[in-house]
Amino acid sequence: MPPQVPADVSSGKMDIPLIHYSKNMSLMENSPEIIKALGLFKQYGDVTAIDNVSLSVGKGELFGLLGPNGSGKTTMIKMLTGQVRPTGGSATVLGLDVEKDPIGVRERVGIIPEQETPPSFLTATEYLDFVGDVRHIEDVQKKADWWFDFLDFSDKRDVLCKDLSRGTRQKLMFTQAFLHKPVLALIDEPLINFDPIMQHKVKDYLAEYVKAGNTIFISTHILQIAEEICTGFAILHKGKLLHTGTVALLKERDQHLDDFFLSLVQKDRHV
Amino acid sequence: MFKLFTNMLKEEWRIHSTIFGSLSFALFPVMIFGIAFMGSFLLPLFRAVIPGGDLSMIVHALFLLLGIMVGAFGLIGQEAMNRRFGQASLLAYSARSLPISVQEIFCTFVIKDTVYYFCLWVLPFVGGFALASPFIGIPLSLPALLLLTLTLAFLTGLSVVFFLSTVYARSKLYLGVILALLLISGAGLYLFAGINIALFFPPLMLFYSFSWVLFGFTCAVILCLSAVAVLLFTSEYTDTAQRYSSVLAPIAQRLSFFPYPPLAAKDLIDLSRSGSFIGQTIFSFLIPLGLLWFLLSVLTRLLPPGGVLLLFAILTGVIASTMYTWITAFDSYNSYTCLPVSVRALLTSKICSFTVLQLIPAALIIVVSLLSNGVAYLIPALVLCLSISFFSLAVTVWQTGLSPSVMVYDAKVLVTYLFVLGIALIVLIALSFMNPYYSLASVLLFLPGWLFVRESFMKWDILDQPTF
Repeated sequence: MPPQVPADVSSGKMDIPLIHYSKNMSLMENSPEIIKALGLFKQYGDVTAIDNVSLSVGKGELFGLLGPNGSGKTTMIKMLTGQVRPTGGSATVLGLDVEKDPIGVRERVGIIPEQETPPSFLTATEYLDFVGDVRHIEDVQKKADWWFDFLDFSDKRDVLCKDLSRGTRQKLMFTQAFLHKPVLALIDEPLINFDPIMQHKVKDYLAEYVKAGNTIFISTHILQIAEEICTGFAILHKGKLLHTGTVALLKERDQHLDDFFLSLVQKDRHV
Repeated sequence: MFKLFTNMLKEEWRIHSTIFGSLSFALFPVMIFGIAFMGSFLLPLFRAVIPGGDLSMIVHALFLLLGIMVGAFGLIGQEAMNRRFGQASLLAYSARSLPISVQEIFCTFVIKDTVYYFCLWVLPFVGGFALASPFIGIPLSLPALLLLTLTLAFLTGLSVVFFLSTVYARSKLYLGVILALLLISGAGLYLFAGINIALFFPPLMLFYSFSWVLFGFTCAVILCLSAVAVLLFTSEYTDTAQRYSSVLAPIAQRLSFFPYPPLAAKDLIDLSRSGSFIGQTIFSFLIPLGLLWFLLSVLTRLLPPGGVLLLFAILTGVIASTMYTWITAFDSYNSYTCLPVSVRALLTSKICSFTVLQLIPAALIIVVSLLSNGVAYLIPALVLCLSISFFSLAVTVWQTGLSPSVMVYDAKVLVTYLFVLGIALIVLIALSFMNPYYSLASVLLFLPGWLFVRESFMKWDILDQPTF
């Protein structure tokens, strides 16, 4: 389902940049909310990693969380998947409270963390077996074989994970995240270790996956990727949400995401 | 070169202080000094049991071993750091990005290790011994000689490892040939001529009878090994990708009686493939316990019948509980963050894997009982050992969760652990000495142990896991 944009914005009445038009508001008011964060806050000692962030992502979206290094993207994904607990605020993913039922959330979603960290001393096949056991996936070998072929790393299936290249480890992490065909996948920097051919393949896969009614939430600082594949996006800077919007709207206004992003972030820096 | 050297020293300090805490680590040489000082007063007691020559051989062997371990850690340091702290990079690998030759870096690395560990281990150890010497009637010339020979023993270990590792990097076959030749000639000399080659260890020979010629020879051996290592050193390793056929499913099948078979199977595979199972069993279990048995045997006449065996079983239980660190050291929590695995499930599976490993202390107690004519006390010894091991594990899990090897260096954690365990140990030692069969009461420790584990599930499930 395409994201619905408020009428005043889509009709072009507002000036560009369209900052704050939808800040802390859902873009998907008429569609089921797959992810809903309300006033999320995360403090590490004296450092505020996430500062009162509210956003929602609807079903069938490929949503990009964008921001410079250290803006809080990874923390946000960790909170949404129950890996770290929010200091304040709340979030639900697929209707489950991430704080009360983090395991329930992780059962239903697929996650690719920022650092590809499959267990060092298992082979690629053994790791997927392990994931299959933990997630109770049937016919895991058959499914794993498909992914080995699709991502072109069959020759590495019996190599220890510690001896795999970063790109291959990323393929393995990609496989474990989609092995159980989750309705929602949260991916931290999805394409960063892939070569151009693999990037193309994976982008196509993600687009098809979303078309099939699933939802994908990615975090990235590579804006070209976001512009190419995302439908909705949010911009995070120093833990604060600067903007949520749609790529379609930017295109409609003949504006590129990177220009929009830079102007927004630079403006915030001055502030 | 000097700048690189000082930065490498800083780096080494920071590696250790990150793991152990700055203050704890700064106090480490002081602790070595204190132990050496106080231990020196036990020398007359030891001399009554074993000849002085054997003692000096043991001390030199320990410093040789220290050199070997330091050298080995230097070579696998980056990998070890990566496993513990995530992405880590050491200056030793900066030849990849800076215009410095690998030989220059390696040479500086050797000098840095020599200086650093001399100050950390050799100097405090000999310093403590030197301070005690006047009180135990030992001339000060002996600690001075020991300072020299222990330094040379340490440097021999370091240079041997560097030499062997560079040979290994060039050709595994050559390494095999060298090791086989050393082993065959050593065994041949011992079996056919009755010569103990340990007596021909140059630093030890130098300690027994100092001569400038022998000193020159010892230095030449170290310099030659180091020079060859520097010359042969290469950062271009052959393909080391290790391949294995899949064994996770069959092992998990065999462990199906455990609550989380795949997690326990993964632990056992980690232990086996990381090489830590054999290494830890030898270096963290058998060698310390061998030394303990030797120390306890000094007390045979002072303790009641069976006392040494029971005391040994208690200490074996404490050391056996550290096997928990074996199964957590190579298992980063990062690997589980994308899976629906709770901390409680992980802790449960670690306890199951730990249970499997308890076959090792159990076997050791059986063997020691048989060898020391203590079969009559086998059952109490076994029960004591396993009860204490599981109780100590429960306290460790409660205090440190999934990161025992890092969190145990938190002073509060360590004090709590020592206090709780100390009370249990004092009571059990007293009971064992009253009547060996009273020690069967140690099974009662399983109850508070279970409570600690239950408490730790609740405690660690609600905390963000540090991803060391």
